[in-house]
This record gives sequence, structure tokens and C-alpha cells, in this order.
Amino acid sequence: MLTRGYYWLVTALAIPAFLWLVPTIWMVSLSFQPNEVLARTTSSTALGLVPVPFTFENYTALFSFGQTPLWFLNSVIVALGMTLGVLAVSTTAGYALARLDFRFKTPVMILCLIGLMVPEQAVFIPLYTMFADLGWHNSYHALILPRMAVPIGVFLMMQFFRAIPQDIEEAARLDGVGWLQIFRYVMLPLARPAMMTLAILTFLYAWNDYLWPLVSAQQREFFTITLGLASIQSNFAQSEGLGRVMASGVIASLPVVILFLIFQRYVVQAMTAGGSKG
Amino acid sequence: MTSINKRRNHLSEAQAAWVLLLPFLAVYGAFLVYPFFRGIWISLHDWNLLAVAFNPDAREFVGVRNYERIMWGRNIEWAALAHPTLQILGIAGVGISVFLRWTNRASRATAIALGLASVLLFVLPGFHPGEGGRWYDRRFWPTVGNTITFVGLTVPGVTISALVLAAALNRETRAMSVLRTLFFLSQVLSVTVVTLIWQIMFSPRQGLIANLTELFGGSPIVWLTDESFAMAAIVITTIWWSLGIAMILFLAGLQDISKDLYEAGALDNATGLRAFWHITLPNLKRTVTVVVVLQIILHFQVFGQSHLMTNGGPNDTTQVLVRYIYQTAFRDSELGRASAMAVFLFVIMGSFSILQFILGREDD
Repeated sequence: MLTRGYYWLVTALAIPAFLWLVPTIWMVSLSFQPNEVLARTTSSTALGLVPVPFTFENYTALFSFGQTPLWFLNSVIVALGMTLGVLAVSTTAGYALARLDFRFKTPVMILCLIGLMVPEQAVFIPLYTMFADLGWHNSYHALILPRMAVPIGVFLMMQFFRAIPQDIEEAARLDGVGWLQIFRYVMLPLARPAMMTLAILTFLYAWNDYLWPLVSAQQREFFTITLGLASIQSNFAQSEGLGRVMASGVIASLPVVILFLIFQRYVVQAMTAGGSKG
Repeated sequence: MTSINKRRNHLSEAQAAWVLLLPFLAVYGAFLVYPFFRGIWISLHDWNLLAVAFNPDAREFVGVRNYERIMWGRNIEWAALAHPTLQILGIAGVGISVFLRWTNRASRATAIALGLASVLLFVLPGFHPGEGGRWYDRRFWPTVGNTITFVGLTVPGVTISALVLAAALNRETRAMSVLRTLFFLSQVLSVTVVTLIWQIMFSPRQGLIANLTELFGGSPIVWLTDESFAMAAIVITTIWWSLGIAMILFLAGLQDISKDLYEAGALDNATGLRAFWHITLPNLKRTVTVVVVLQIILHFQVFGQSHLMTNGGPNDTTQVLVRYIYQTAFRDSELGRASAMAVFLFVIMGSFSILQFILGREDD
């Protein structure tokens, strides 16, 4: 039942929605304008929201020199590694806590629950000294490991496994299938949607993480794109040119934006679950 | 069951559980539990990052002196009206929470939380250096104050705009879902991209906002280096960035409100704004509380916006707690003092997490 009031509402909301998008459009538009022009004015056409005069130069420059491609690659490696790692430890632990009985189950659960309260900022200094003692800084595992210890994924998976009907497991038990096999061949295939949600949540976090990479990766070769972008934005106008910095910003955002647009439903689910649970 | 286990040589249930738990417990113990306690241990030491890196024995156990050095001072006195505005607000808050509980308008948990916060608001601002006294660390409490200001501006800003948007967008049509996507998009960007965009948006020479003001004949504001605008600038940036998640949580809450209520309301001529006020809001109370607490936790950790856009300035007006911890640890190399601040941060955020946990349990 779409009334006239509805169309008015859509129109009225389209204006703030467009305004909300303006900063992003502006970044994309600036990234397609020549640096010489931007040095003079950022509002050539329609306040700079339309890329006229137009150029691809900023992007070609980005990929022919500078470290942006390397940082991008680092981000891909770190984000994928972290996603796989979190999935591996969270599905297994989540299943054990949801479906298996063992001594000390409650204490283990409480211990994990307490971990939800500990923010990254409360442990990043001791983590820094630990990794320094081990000589692990400036490596991929230093960027990946700390996030694997965050128990949020375990709780997401635990909640999912709890909702699966008991009889599926029992049928397999009666056929004499072992617990690990049940987990591997019965539960894991069922868990795909939940794993997808967790994977996206982790990937987004990994791609956008700033504080820990800032502390741990001091050599520019180990910067992630998020960190690299921070390092060039402080002197954007002088050395790199505004257009090129904006192009880096676009490149840095592309994977998460694409991921979001394709898997919107999962992203929203992930953020709702991750958000309301800590 | 056990006979089957033995025959097939399978692990017992408990064995299987521990095998599956082991990988997580290993990383959890090594990279979260242990660092947490090590953090407390470091906070009890005079621990210079560089000195200890060269000579592990260069640290010295000092007990709680680091905490004293950040939070206390010489000749600190307490007065009931050292900071009248905040303290009167605190007294009023105590009164309000007692009243709300008395008239049964708030649950016990809410009343206790509000009451505790009000007592703190009355007690804490009362401390001030007496004659000839001074804080040992002049920057710590102002930094905490800035962080609270930031949270105090951002959280209502995000909550109100997200609530209004969610209520307006709560329909399952194509156009609405596109609009939802547009509002949510900025949420997936990283803090460095967001600050990059807004740093230039706010720039007085190249910024879109300055270009607009000039178009209308005004003179541009120097947002990021003006003491009265810098905090506003990072608050605006943060609202733009993090509206999406609050909106999504509100939309999820709105789904749970029965359509019958609105139909019944329509009979009483409650539509549009009146329906929002009399039906939506009362039924969404719990979601609002959850979203507010969640955001307090989230925004108390603010770092990137301040670090990248304003460098904590001008004149420390946007210096926030996490940035101060970061600087104390990695610029001043004072790991002990920085860790003490991190423990302070943990205590504050931990109490909000407990509150969030209690609120989450209330409806189960």
C-alpha cells in the first residue's frame, strides 16, 4: 500500500541520503582530477563533485611507483590470514562450548566471557613488549595473532551451534560416528552462513584496524593499506598531490565497499551480532 | 555410548571438547589473558621502553605510584562546590534516580546505574589542588574530560539521528533499502579513509565546506585548528562514520514491534509523529539503552580521529585518553605510566560492559 505520503517520504529522505554520500563522492571525484588543477582549486566543476577535467593519472601513478600496491597486498594477506585463523579457532571452540559436555565447562565459558570486556587498548602495550621480546614485530603473524584471541567469534559460533536441533547429532552418534567427525562432516557444513557472517566481520575489522598495526608495523614494508594511508595523509598537499592521496583512499576502500555491496545482508547481520554482543 | 567409543577408537566427549577448544584457548591465553595481567604488572613498575629494551633489569617496582602520578597531585582537597555545574548536576541525578525508582518508572538496574554515575559526578569534580598544590599530571584529567565531552556529544548525535532515520526507513520497499544502503555505506570505511576525507572537507583552503561558505559570501572557518571548532569537527566526522550501525540496530528493534500496535494506534488517530512518540519510542526503550551503552563503549576508545585530524590539538582540546596512552607509551617511552592509564580505561569500559551484559540479560 504505497500512498502519496510514502513517495513524499522517499523524496524527503533522498536529500539527506545524497548529502550523506557527498564526502565519499567528493573523494572519488578528486581522485580523478589532475593534481595541477587541484593545487589551484578543488571546486572546478559543481563544487568539485564532478571530475571535470578528468584524468586516470593518479591511479596509474599509484601503481607505478610508491608503496601503495605493496601495502594493499599486505592488507590482503593480513585480512585473509586473520579471517581464516579466527574461523578456525572460533568454529571449533564454539562447537565444543555449545554442544559438548566436559568438566570445567562453566569456568571456561566465564573466562571467555570476561575476555569480551577487555578492549584492545588495555592490552596493546603488554602485547607490544611481548612481541618485541620475541622479535616478532614487522611480520604478518604479529599483525594477525592478537585478533585471533578475541572471543567474540567463539560466542557467535556458539550461539549458532546451540540453535541446531539435537537429533541431527544423535542420529550420527547412533551410527557410531566420533565427535570430531560429527563436527567436521555434519556441523561444519551446516555452519556455513554463520561462518560467512563471522568471516565478513573479521575481514572488515582486519582491513580497517589501525591502532595495533600502528604500534607493531614500524617498517614501511609491513604497513597495511590503512596504516600506509595514514602515513601519507599528513603531508598530502606537498609531496604526493591531493589527487593521488585521494586515489589511495579510494583503493583502500574498494575491497570493503565491494564486499559490503555484494554481501550486504551478511555485513548487516555481522554488525548487528558483533555490535550488540560487544 | 562408551562401548561404541572404545570399539571405534574414538575420543570421548570430553577429550573431543578439549581438542576442539585447545587452539582457541592457546591464543586466548597467550594474546589476551596473559597480556592483560602483564599490563597490570607493568603498571606497577617504573618501566622505560628504551631502557628496558637494552637492559631487562632497568625496571623498578614502584607499587601504585604510577596511578598516583597520573590521577593525584600535591595538596589535593575536596569541596562540595569546587565545580558547581557538574556537582549540582550530580546531586540532581541522584534525586532523579531515586524519584524514578520510587515511582517505578525505571528498573532497578537502570536506577542503580544512573545513581552511581550521579554520585561519581558529584564526588569526582570536587577534587582540586589546594593552596600551593598542583596535579602531578596536568594533562590527565583534562584528557579524560575531553574524552567524556567527545562521547557526550557523539552518542546523542548518533542515537537521535539514527533513531529518526530508522523509523523513517522501516519499510520493506526497494527505495527504502537503497536509502538504507546509502546511509550505511560510510560505516565500512576505515578510520584513515574517513579522516582523510574529512580533513580535506574541513580544510579552509581546499575544503568543500569552505568552498560552500565562500559561495555564499562567508569567510571559511579554520575548523581543525580553532579551539572552539576542533572538537565539533571530529564529532561531526564520527557521527557521519558511525551512524550506520546504530541505525541497523534500531531497525532490528523496530522489526520486533507488532504491527497491531500501530493499527490500534491508527484507530485512536495516532499516526506519523504521534505514533512515533506514543508507540515506537516506548517500545524501543530497551534497544535505545543497548545502543547508547554500546556506543559509549565504542566511542570511549576514540583514537584515530583525534590522532590523524587534529593531533590532539589545538592546545590539547581534542586530546583523548587512548591517544594520551599511545603517546605516553611510544613517544615518551613511559610504559609504566601508560599502562596505569590503560588499566584506568579498562575499569571505565569494563563497568559499561557489565552494564551492557546486565541489560542484555534482562530480557532473556
